[in-house]
Amino acid sequence: MSKQQPVLFSIGWNACINCGACVAICPQEAGFVSPFDTIAVDRPCDIACLLCESICPVDTITHVPVEQPAVSVVTVDR
Amino acid sequence: MPPTDYDLIIVGAGPAGSTTARFAASAGLRVLLIDKRQELGAPIQCSGAISGHGLAAAGIPPDPEFIHEAIYGFAIYNDRGDRTVHDYRQLKGDEYGPGPGKKPLGYVVDRRRFDRYLMTQAERAGVDVWLKTEGLGYRPRPDGSCTVSLLRYNQPIELTTRVVVGADGLQSQVGKWAGLQTHIKITELAGCLQFIVDGVETEGLLEIVTGHEWAPGGYAWVFPKGHGYAEIGLGVIATMTDKPARWHLDKFITQSFFRDRFAGSRILEVQGGGVPLAAPLRTQFADNMILVGDAARHVNPITGGGLHTAVAGGKIAADFLVGHLGDGLPLQGGALEAYQRAWLGAMGDKMWKLYGIKTGIFHNMDIGERDRQLYATMSSYFSPTSEFKKI
Repeated sequence: MSKQQPVLFSIGWNACINCGACVAICPQEAGFVSPFDTIAVDRPCDIACLLCESICPVDTITHVPVEQPAVSVVTVDR
Repeated sequence: MPPTDYDLIIVGAGPAGSTTARFAASAGLRVLLIDKRQELGAPIQCSGAISGHGLAAAGIPPDPEFIHEAIYGFAIYNDRGDRTVHDYRQLKGDEYGPGPGKKPLGYVVDRRRFDRYLMTQAERAGVDVWLKTEGLGYRPRPDGSCTVSLLRYNQPIELTTRVVVGADGLQSQVGKWAGLQTHIKITELAGCLQFIVDGVETEGLLEIVTGHEWAPGGYAWVFPKGHGYAEIGLGVIATMTDKPARWHLDKFITQSFFRDRFAGSRILEVQGGGVPLAAPLRTQFADNMILVGDAARHVNPITGGGLHTAVAGGKIAADFLVGHLGDGLPLQGGALEAYQRAWLGAMGDKMWKLYGIKTGIFHNMDIGERDRQLYATMSSYFSPTSEFKKI
């Protein structure tokens, strides 16, 4: 997958219109969603393509980098 | 195959799922239709336009319960405001019009009421409908059937069925369960935003505004919404602009050739969604599973229209399943590819052709030329002589 550093998404719920475009564009496996039909915000995304941020009609998705993938597999850069 | 709880479990009670359910149950199949929402149609992610023949072909009468406004034609604008009008009240005045003995060309529907109406018709045809029920996954079984895992008001439930129908929209999880390639390219998903407004006059036409200046990669629209309301919206392709759809919609409203017309508008609702301007999914089936509607990307790649294609696809899916299950044919090992062939023959091949036309326009790097091509294509698309008017 991507060599990007994993990110944790944050959604500005005040602007979110629950349109689902972020989930529609998301290349993650099934289930990377929030209870509000957006991309997941409770666990890191290890793909970090950020397509969800660019498709969002109301520009309300942001992210912060996280140090390590949530899964136990850690790859070491040589 | 031993008995199963249902013949079909349909995930998603939008227009595609409810139409599939209605035709399947009418033909005697045992159908469960589930939706995770508490209220269908909402949040609205769609402009709500559908042709009269699209409704008729899917056995849906134009009931006042769900119709916002009748439509009689189209007006297509270029980026400067020049327009081509196809008003069927003039083009085919003996057939289309508001008077007695005449009919509208199409309708703008209220998606909340339309979706609920279609679900009600399915329920009356014998479908079991469960709201607040989410599909979590499915497993094909060695006996040829499959098990579906559901969550209903937080209660886990497992049911057996012969076929799962994924009608769960553009964000489809059902296709992902089966490992299908459902990922859509960022260049082919338009980020859309629309306002329902008061104070904007309309004339019974669907108005479509082309031009990179207003909607890079997509188009803008003004649709009549009934009761004097209108719908102003647009869709943009993220790779063709560094601004979100909301920025473009504000610009369209305040700076376009419609700025005086929109000056007194007041926003009543804000809606949005992702609209695929893409090809249909190449694979729309798996063991014990088929996809229909937005989940299969049964969406017109030129107009982004998905209602007609959803209900038409629902009927195709139901007719196929009734025959296939009735004949006791296998449901695994690629057997359901026959559904995809039926769909391609009925409407998919035309959609692939439209996708080719659309791709040809947007691969043009010269903005002026691209604008001219899109305007010309849209203008001819809605003309009475268009070869695509039934899509």
